[in-house]
Amino acid sequence: MSSVSIAHEQAPTLAGIVAFLELRAITKRFGSLVANNEVSFSVRAGEVHALLGENGAGKSTLMKVLYGVYQPEAGEILRDGSVVTVSSSAAARNLGIGMVFQDLRLVPALTVWENIALHIGGSQVLKAGVVQSMIADASQRYGLSVEPKSKVADLSIGEWQRVELIKVLLAGARLLILDEPTSVLTPIEVAGLFNVIRTLRAEGVGIVLITHKMREVREIADRVTVLRAGGVVVADTPANDLDDEQLVLAMVGETVEVTRNDAASDTPSRPVAMRLSRVRVAGVGGGTGLRETDLTIYAGEVLGVAGVSGNGQRELADLLVGAVRPDGGGIELGGKPVGTAGPGAFHAAGVVSVAADPLREFVIPGLTIAEHAALWDRAKSGGGSFDIRASSKKLVENGKRLGLRLAPPTRQLDQLSGGNIQRVLLALALGEAAQVLVLSYPTRGLDVLTTETTRLLLLHARDAGTAVVLVSEDLDEILRLSDRIAVLAHGHVSAIVRAADSDRQSLGKLMTADAA
Amino acid sequence: MTAAPVAETEDIEPITTHQPVETSSGGPAPESSARYAVILVVGYVISFIVFGVLVAFKGADPISVYHTIISSTVLNANALQQLALRAVPIGLAALAVAVPARAGLINVGGEGQLIMGAVAATGVGVAVGPHVPGVFSWILTCAAGAGAGGIWALIAGVLRTWLGAAEAVTTLLLNFIANDIMLYLIYQAWRDPHGSGQPQSVPLVHSAQLPKMFGSQVNVGVLIALCFVALTWVLLQRTGWGFQLRVVGGNREAARRSGLKVQYLLLSSMAVGGALAGLGGALNLDGVETQLRPDITVTFGYVAFLASFLGRHRPIKVVGAAILFSAIALSGNGLQISNGLDGTIVDILLALIVVVPLVVTNFRRRAA
Repeated sequence: MSSVSIAHEQAPTLAGIVAFLELRAITKRFGSLVANNEVSFSVRAGEVHALLGENGAGKSTLMKVLYGVYQPEAGEILRDGSVVTVSSSAAARNLGIGMVFQDLRLVPALTVWENIALHIGGSQVLKAGVVQSMIADASQRYGLSVEPKSKVADLSIGEWQRVELIKVLLAGARLLILDEPTSVLTPIEVAGLFNVIRTLRAEGVGIVLITHKMREVREIADRVTVLRAGGVVVADTPANDLDDEQLVLAMVGETVEVTRNDAASDTPSRPVAMRLSRVRVAGVGGGTGLRETDLTIYAGEVLGVAGVSGNGQRELADLLVGAVRPDGGGIELGGKPVGTAGPGAFHAAGVVSVAADPLREFVIPGLTIAEHAALWDRAKSGGGSFDIRASSKKLVENGKRLGLRLAPPTRQLDQLSGGNIQRVLLALALGEAAQVLVLSYPTRGLDVLTTETTRLLLLHARDAGTAVVLVSEDLDEILRLSDRIAVLAHGHVSAIVRAADSDRQSLGKLMTADAA
Repeated sequence: MTAAPVAETEDIEPITTHQPVETSSGGPAPESSARYAVILVVGYVISFIVFGVLVAFKGADPISVYHTIISSTVLNANALQQLALRAVPIGLAALAVAVPARAGLINVGGEGQLIMGAVAATGVGVAVGPHVPGVFSWILTCAAGAGAGGIWALIAGVLRTWLGAAEAVTTLLLNFIANDIMLYLIYQAWRDPHGSGQPQSVPLVHSAQLPKMFGSQVNVGVLIALCFVALTWVLLQRTGWGFQLRVVGGNREAARRSGLKVQYLLLSSMAVGGALAGLGGALNLDGVETQLRPDITVTFGYVAFLASFLGRHRPIKVVGAAILFSAIALSGNGLQISNGLDGTIVDILLALIVVVPLVVTNFRRRAA
């Protein structure tokens, strides 16, 4: 392991500048598991410090120690050079530390300003007008556009995040911890977030960016620290001193091959797996829905679906797995019209999906991984009984065979992190041969190694004759993996292009083209 | 600066979004459940003190009140038998709450389902009881009671699945309708002409009543109820149906996407729950009451509702809570006689017993 660590003996601190916040030799254990082993980390005012690492490297634990969620077994925390104790999140907030979690923490039934008032007001009741004008000031100052009177439940995920940011900033944060903030955002929203981060940096706010995306490090980070298996492998290094390969090597501990679809093929000679003719679906959550859409999906191809969020991707994915019925038009599966079949019948017919929103569509609170597997297997066999033990065994074997490191099957699925939930979902969906595989954001929340494993598995499924539909907002992913790309705009398939003939610019143009 | 050796599960994030410390079985970790037990015990000690202060205000000696509560229930053979009989309708009505609760439904209608069970048992028992051997009458009355309770709950289920009407409200309203139906029958259609002016229905003939066992007051209805408790446990914990209820109760959208018949599961959970309460009503009528009277259920259904929540909708715990509540309710008589208190004061103790775990759970969540 030491062969790949790029160690700087002492952080190259700028002369005379004391770090705004510093963690010294923090150790945090969970039972026999050492989540952080003597980790040191510091943030200065007005810098973006990227904290990199694979899932389980200990990034989130470290930041939760800093934010007072966990108490470390050893080590100390310094603010402006003097030792402080962060006994709770409230104590952290008093020290000027703010954290935006991966799972955003707002009350959906309340409006934006009410949520913010709750956070900054504590026990006192704040006047609506006062809070709203504070929000207006902050949103202008930092470029965070939010509508104070909207109900949080009606907001897009990007808007949620902006509300979280304003909330934390209005509470007086001088240090902002962002836990994988881009994992849920569209590319345009990411650009917006980064502009906000730049403004905050210029105002002297210290920012910790937890991520495992190289592109983000390049774009915005001043310094990087890399954790692996609970320890520091790259300490406090200027971001430009290391190239992507060195960073990935430090994170993963081995070289990672980039997965690419080298055998992109022309499809019309292959059998049709699924055909949509003039289908219509009403939009959900402010989306456009689908309007009179035609789409043919061939066996043995990867069909990428690109588009700005809310242009019909979700409705298309739901339609393909039978979770919604079209308001008009027809669907053929393997040459036969599906009629009024529901999601169970689609699954039994070999249509398998990785949910776009696993917490809403897949995860059942209180149930173990094994029980989820049993539920999945029963749907696949079209009903009948549950055999939790057999399904669990099969899932574990599939997980091993596919190289997806799964949590133990006796764990409750809802207690796992997003990345670990995604692994379970992938092991189920990719575990057996399918006719049609509908993958929505399949690599969301996954670390570098698992992302590439997943992409490879997806191409293997394609090679085995499965029709793979890949819905993603990561254009690089779509371009690298697809045979053909269907571009959704305004609820239509506005274009179908060969991946080999396309690039980010040409896709971007098609995605944002005006309605014909 | 190399990474320290870590446990083999290194790739599994130790961090969970909700509860950081979690055992593999998914339950709270030993230390936190021990802590929970301690807080719970402290909570109960406080609530017993509060109740003691209250009875002291009422002019009774708290020590002797607690002594009465215990001696008038578990230390008294006669009271124990009463307890067993009382626990039958309350226990089964509590299961009527627990079964739909697994599917995420709130059945407040145990009271009405008990009443409809008793009404159907009376109707069938009076009509066929004199003409068939006792055992047939018991079976027919129990079946009629279960059927009536099931249908009564199913009404709320259908309103829920077809019209989206909140079952917590409709089941509650159906309680009042059931009570009105029963009152109509008692005062009008089924009125006992030999009742010497008392409002009551025609009683069951002796052969149609459940026989008492071993010369005690306890009738075979207690055994029948126990069988159905066991059956419910098997249904919920050991069958695919019980598993599917948990799925629907946990995440309805995920259940739908897994191809489960969500509507059927919601309806059947209501029907099974209602049938259990209806059976409770029938057994209580066949074995104890033998005829309809206006206060035949004396809020058993609502006590049962609380018992199901205290037992967290787990069948065995729910029945345990139901027995505890039956005992407390019964001790009211003793308090009235020995300590000169109003018997209903035990309702306060009952409320404290329900509130403590709710507060403790909340306390723990906030501390986490």
